[in-house]
Amino acid sequence: MKKDKNNSFNTPEGYFESFNDRLMDRIKNEEAGEAASIIPKTDGFKVPDGYFDEVTPTVLSKTVENEIKVIPLRSNKRFYYGIAAAAAILIFVFSITWDSNPEPITFDDLANAELEAYFENTDWEMTSYEIAEVVSLEEIELNDILNDDLEDDIIMEYLDENVDNIEELNFENIDYE
Amino acid sequence: MIAEETLVQELQQKESRSKAFEVLVNTYKERLYWHIRRIVLNHDDTDDVLQNTFIKVYRNIDKFKGESKLYSWMYRIATNESLTFLKQKSRKMGVSDQELKDKMVENLQADVYFEGDEIQLKLQKALATLPDKQKLVFTMKYFQEMKYSEISNILETSEGALKTSYHLAVKKIEAYLKEN
Repeated sequence: MKKDKNNSFNTPEGYFESFNDRLMDRIKNEEAGEAASIIPKTDGFKVPDGYFDEVTPTVLSKTVENEIKVIPLRSNKRFYYGIAAAAAILIFVFSITWDSNPEPITFDDLANAELEAYFENTDWEMTSYEIAEVVSLEEIELNDILNDDLEDDIIMEYLDENVDNIEELNFENIDYE
Repeated sequence: MIAEETLVQELQQKESRSKAFEVLVNTYKERLYWHIRRIVLNHDDTDDVLQNTFIKVYRNIDKFKGESKLYSWMYRIATNESLTFLKQKSRKMGVSDQELKDKMVENLQADVYFEGDEIQLKLQKALATLPDKQKLVFTMKYFQEMKYSEISNILETSEGALKTSYHLAVKKIEAYLKEN
């Protein structure tokens, strides 16, 4: 036991020597979250056998190998003759049926579904604020971007159902009754 | 293991790129896999996102300026790819982000690559209720055992804010597990 000269209290043997380690342990445990007792240590996910061995060649085939792949030209000579013959026949057939003055494709020819699919599947990486900066609302009527026109009485009906006291909205020049 | 600066240099030179990229894939595939898996939950989706992440890394390696560590940069790409993937998935399915998260947890019960018991399934349900950032911080700290300084570089958030997020996440998960 260790005795302090100036007082009569004792500390256990090696108390101060081991103090740092014990303190660090405690801090570490607290940092790791005391909740560890309730929250499970593992999350139960697993991978198919051999997945990590297979994924490297797959990634390399889509990156490195894709870039350095060279297609030999000479060995396909006969193949090209065949293609050329087929193309000549196709050109001949089309030249008979071809409308010499085709209408150019315009924006209106695109089906709405195609446009919608494009907008849905393309990641714009833009927030609504950024879009708002590009598309000036002053030039657009609200009804241009809505599927159905927003009639005044629909707005009033909505407000009537969802606002407790419609007079609190302080409308000026209202005439809805 | 090869030093990071050397690897970056080799990746940015055409002659050494393919060899260096293979080293990069082998070094990081497992860590990135688990990071992505904990966001998208399902193995097949994780595989897709992991491959996309490496393809993006490969295509953009010339733009990597070395302002952050290479692994932080890759983790950031993996995180963004995973979150974008989930957004696109919810859009395609015509459901809200939260509905998709609930559905993903529901699907875990039939997932052959999920061996979790009841408590682990509950943990996933609890995680699905958290905002993205809190969930990310929690899984990176708790399961991936990353340091706050590392997470701070990846998520570009101060360590103080991360500690707060982590504590909030722990409290919410604990409360959820006790209640249910």
